[in-house]
Amino acid sequence: MNYIDLLRESEDLVTPGMSACQGCAAEMCLRRVLQVAGRNTIMTIPPGCMAGAGVVGWNFDNGLKVPVHIPLLDNTASFLSGVSNMYQRKNRQDVNIIAFAGDGATADCGFQSLSGAAERAEKFLYICYDNEGYMNTGFQRSSTSSKGSKTSTTPVGIEGGGKSQNQKYMPLIMAMHNAEYVATASPSNMKDLVEKVTKGIEASKRGFAYIHIFSPCPTGWGHDTNLSIDIAKKAVKSNFFPLFEVDRGNWKLLDNKNPIPVSEWIVKLKKFSHLSDDDIIAIQDVADKRMELLRKLSS
Amino acid sequence: MSRNFVTPIGDEGIYTLDTGSWRTFKPIMNKDKCIECGICMSYCPVGSITGNEQKVYTIGYEFCKGCGICAYECPSQAINMAKEGD
Amino acid sequence: MDNKKKIVAISGNKSAAIGAALSKPDLIAAYPITPQSSVVESLADMIAKGELNSTMVHVESEHSAMSVVQGAAVAGGRTFTATSAQGLALMFEPYFRMSTLRLPMVMAIATREMTSPETVWSGQQDAVTVRDAGWIQMFAENNQEILDMVIQGYKLAEHKDVLLPVNVCYDGFYLSHLTERVEIPSQELADEFLGSYSCNHVTLDPDKPMAVDPLTSSEILWRYRKSHLEAMQNALEVIDEVDIEFDKVFGRKYGGAIDTYKIDDAELVIVTMGATTGTARVAVDKARDMGYKIGLLKVRFLRPFPSQKIKEVLNGKKAYAVIDKSVSFGWNTGVLYNEIKSAVSDLDRAITSMPAIGGLGGADISVDMLLDCIKKLDEESKNYNGQLATYWFE
Repeated sequence: MNYIDLLRESEDLVTPGMSACQGCAAEMCLRRVLQVAGRNTIMTIPPGCMAGAGVVGWNFDNGLKVPVHIPLLDNTASFLSGVSNMYQRKNRQDVNIIAFAGDGATADCGFQSLSGAAERAEKFLYICYDNEGYMNTGFQRSSTSSKGSKTSTTPVGIEGGGKSQNQKYMPLIMAMHNAEYVATASPSNMKDLVEKVTKGIEASKRGFAYIHIFSPCPTGWGHDTNLSIDIAKKAVKSNFFPLFEVDRGNWKLLDNKNPIPVSEWIVKLKKFSHLSDDDIIAIQDVADKRMELLRKLSS
Repeated sequence: MSRNFVTPIGDEGIYTLDTGSWRTFKPIMNKDKCIECGICMSYCPVGSITGNEQKVYTIGYEFCKGCGICAYECPSQAINMAKEGD
Repeated sequence: MDNKKKIVAISGNKSAAIGAALSKPDLIAAYPITPQSSVVESLADMIAKGELNSTMVHVESEHSAMSVVQGAAVAGGRTFTATSAQGLALMFEPYFRMSTLRLPMVMAIATREMTSPETVWSGQQDAVTVRDAGWIQMFAENNQEILDMVIQGYKLAEHKDVLLPVNVCYDGFYLSHLTERVEIPSQELADEFLGSYSCNHVTLDPDKPMAVDPLTSSEILWRYRKSHLEAMQNALEVIDEVDIEFDKVFGRKYGGAIDTYKIDDAELVIVTMGATTGTARVAVDKARDMGYKIGLLKVRFLRPFPSQKIKEVLNGKKAYAVIDKSVSFGWNTGVLYNEIKSAVSDLDRAITSMPAIGGLGGADISVDMLLDCIKKLDEESKNYNGQLATYWFE
């Protein structure tokens, strides 16, 4: 079954009316993930854009058609470790156990619990939607925000030029945890995303699975709402967000020998409008070096 | 209230907002140009584009926020963003 | 576990571990911290030897320890973990949530002084500082009580009118590391007492989909808090019921939320919580020989606070001293003192009271030190009616 058929025939298990921004890639990906996972799923969504948009429930209502819980910002992975172990004991390995967490909950305060769960090879799928910041609380910078990003805590002025540090590269960090499956995905490459979520769910029955999704944020990054997919497409094509997977130690990289320059999409984002040519060259350099490293690792 | 107020749970309905009222622009499909590829459906953040058994895709307007991704990404430029209310 | 009763000489930590094992938890979270580490070590050992069929998760911090058991509980399991001081402080975020999600479990706390100053030794500051996080908290006097209360803890926690997590607290080093005579009941009796486990609380289950803990508005949130407070009050009754039932099955009873010793004709009362109680019993006997009309009030449960029972016991007494192994910052007293004083505050006649603080950071409270304290209480209460100056054990 090709991915279009799958998406057409699979039930949308998210509330039809959630208050995510127009053009939100995370909302898109949440719906796709649950379309692939189906009803036999337990979802956890920590505080962040998705939870804030209503999917974890309000008062006496649910926000999804599957069981959902909002863990603390820093313990999604350890909470799911408990759920997963208990479901193993009940002999219910059939139940899909999935986290859908932002980059703040994943790379910052939730990093310890994530690393612990991965090291223990806990059986669940952890998906990070990386919109490079704490968007729900007003676009504060996180450790995955790109260098130079103008955020509400790294504003631009005489003394400030946006975030001064490079982003922490979560996909490779997670790939070093001996996990069953680690992958990067982009909503622009939807077929690939759907395949990887399918693989991730299957791998989560054997051990720890992690997927890192590039999630453009029109409101936080400052671009038109209709460009979310285009930005993601160009991020992949410029090798800024390479698509790779490590499946039981086997590396597979979607290599791009003729990348477009990062400037083609970086300049479309208001969060980068203050960047000098040198700043853009620095970003290009980081992307190129990272791609080189990935080529070596996957050869 | 018949609830016990022990563990907080949401088990009654599904929390739904009237996101259709957010629109200022509305996507209109031109079925003469549409090749029924389904890509618009795969890229709709809200899940407002659905396909039937005959693989014919239509846009639902109850929750569409008017983001314009479907129009931008359609490979045959079959979707146009018209001003809401026109 | 064995199917015969055994009498052994074991430490408090070992007693806690055996109490947990007899309760057959589904999942145990393990993280080391002085002085509780041997609790989880003993359990790991039992699992490795095939004596205990629990899943042990070796977490990377106490915050995760509480989070893992929370996940397992929400998936329908019976869980156990143990911690002390800094670990308890680190897990405060999910600790508060465990009780407000109304999930039953038992957690052992080998109580320890809180840093700073840098310390690893005995105290009660850790447990008492988190007393208002919604858990049931009980303090054991000796190792037998530790073992028994872990088992009773599950019965109390999982009761449908309670559904709250329980702390079994015991003095670090003074009980955790000291060897005492303990009777280990048979697995058979433990099974009879606890019955086979059935989950009475809400779970995450694809067969019954719901949001567990939706975002909640202020119009509704207070109802959950009110119901939690009611469950705590229900617990006061269930504590007594469980104590009586335990006696029927195991032949040991503890008196419920409080216990007393030589209190009926006493004029002076010494109030203790935890291991100090054992020392205090000896001090009371010696003081009586010296002519003091003294009795002992043992507070077994700090939460829910048995204010009615305490009020009844202290009514008509001349004076009482509360031995606190903690401080209440902002008051010039220990934590238990304020709670006791509050409980007797609406009696017709004010009782002279003395806040006493000692045993901090591992300091010993000996029989002689208690006798000095009793003497001081007797002297000062002759001339003064009201709150006496804070007595520091040096």
